[in-house]
Amino acid sequence: MGESGRYLYAVTRDVDPQALRDVPALSGGTLEVLEHDEFLAVVSTVDLDEYGEEALRVNLEKLEWLEKAAQTHHAVIEAVSDLGPVAPMRLATIFLDDDSLNRRLDEWRHALTQVLDRVAGRLEWSVKIIAANGAPGASGTRDPDNRPASGADYLRQRKAAVEQRSQRESESQQEAHRIHEVLSARAVATRVLQPQDPRLTGHHGTMVLNAAYLVEAAEGTAFAEEAASCAEAQPHLEVDVKGPWPPYSFAMLEQR
Amino acid sequence: MTSVLGETRVAATLPSPRDQEPMALVDLLDRLLGTGVVLSGDIVISLAGVDLVQVRLHALITTIRADMMEPR
Repeated sequence: MGESGRYLYAVTRDVDPQALRDVPALSGGTLEVLEHDEFLAVVSTVDLDEYGEEALRVNLEKLEWLEKAAQTHHAVIEAVSDLGPVAPMRLATIFLDDDSLNRRLDEWRHALTQVLDRVAGRLEWSVKIIAANGAPGASGTRDPDNRPASGADYLRQRKAAVEQRSQRESESQQEAHRIHEVLSARAVATRVLQPQDPRLTGHHGTMVLNAAYLVEAAEGTAFAEEAASCAEAQPHLEVDVKGPWPPYSFAMLEQR
Repeated sequence: MTSVLGETRVAATLPSPRDQEPMALVDLLDRLLGTGVVLSGDIVISLAGVDLVQVRLHALITTIRADMMEPR
């Protein structure tokens, strides 16, 4: 083993470190919980031959490696989230040693406290809304039976198709927005994320909403039921509700 | 041909927290790379200079393209 670093998964407080004892760490390591004032930092030791800057550049491009790392990281966050409030770190947050980790916790003290206060007792729900594309070729492929006779013809057809499509999309957008408002009323906080690429999700159509909702843990069932009833009312939209998850989307430190 | 989705799919499984389907990789990376605590600075090795979103998209799309090359 070459040089090693300290991989930080999450920061929490007021939990029993013993409860994390059997949770697997990255690269077959052992999870440790470091106490620093009121904070508990969940860490493990990683080999910089695998997690150093150069190695990461290569490893992150390997899907198998990326998936394993992300799932292991996530399993740790979930285990912490089951016990108490969690401020999850981004994938591959690595310190050279515990001193530098502790210095960073000192720097983040105020922001970390805010994050932990905000997410305590709350979980994240994901709602994605997908509108079917009404016609084949909607994403720009041409219909061979309807070949334009001229360049001007082509432009006219293209313009009409684009307009029709954009009108359908804007109606779907509005319906999605109404659902978002209904669900937001049941959430403590919401975030609208970038729509996901269909090549990654495999969905057909246009993702008109990709939103995250921070919901009181006790109200998760009611939230999911509300989402289901919104979906029933809009049968031409696909409403994909997932959760509850650790509050990833609501644990950003206010710093750049 | 119209491809209207005939049914509404609601994947909401009512919890029991750990009794749910695992988080999809795309959702996980959306959050683990896109949000979460964002770090920068000298102490943290955390991927200095690497555009995480690019990395993710590149890795995933390359794989999916490889799948699509399979004969249908």
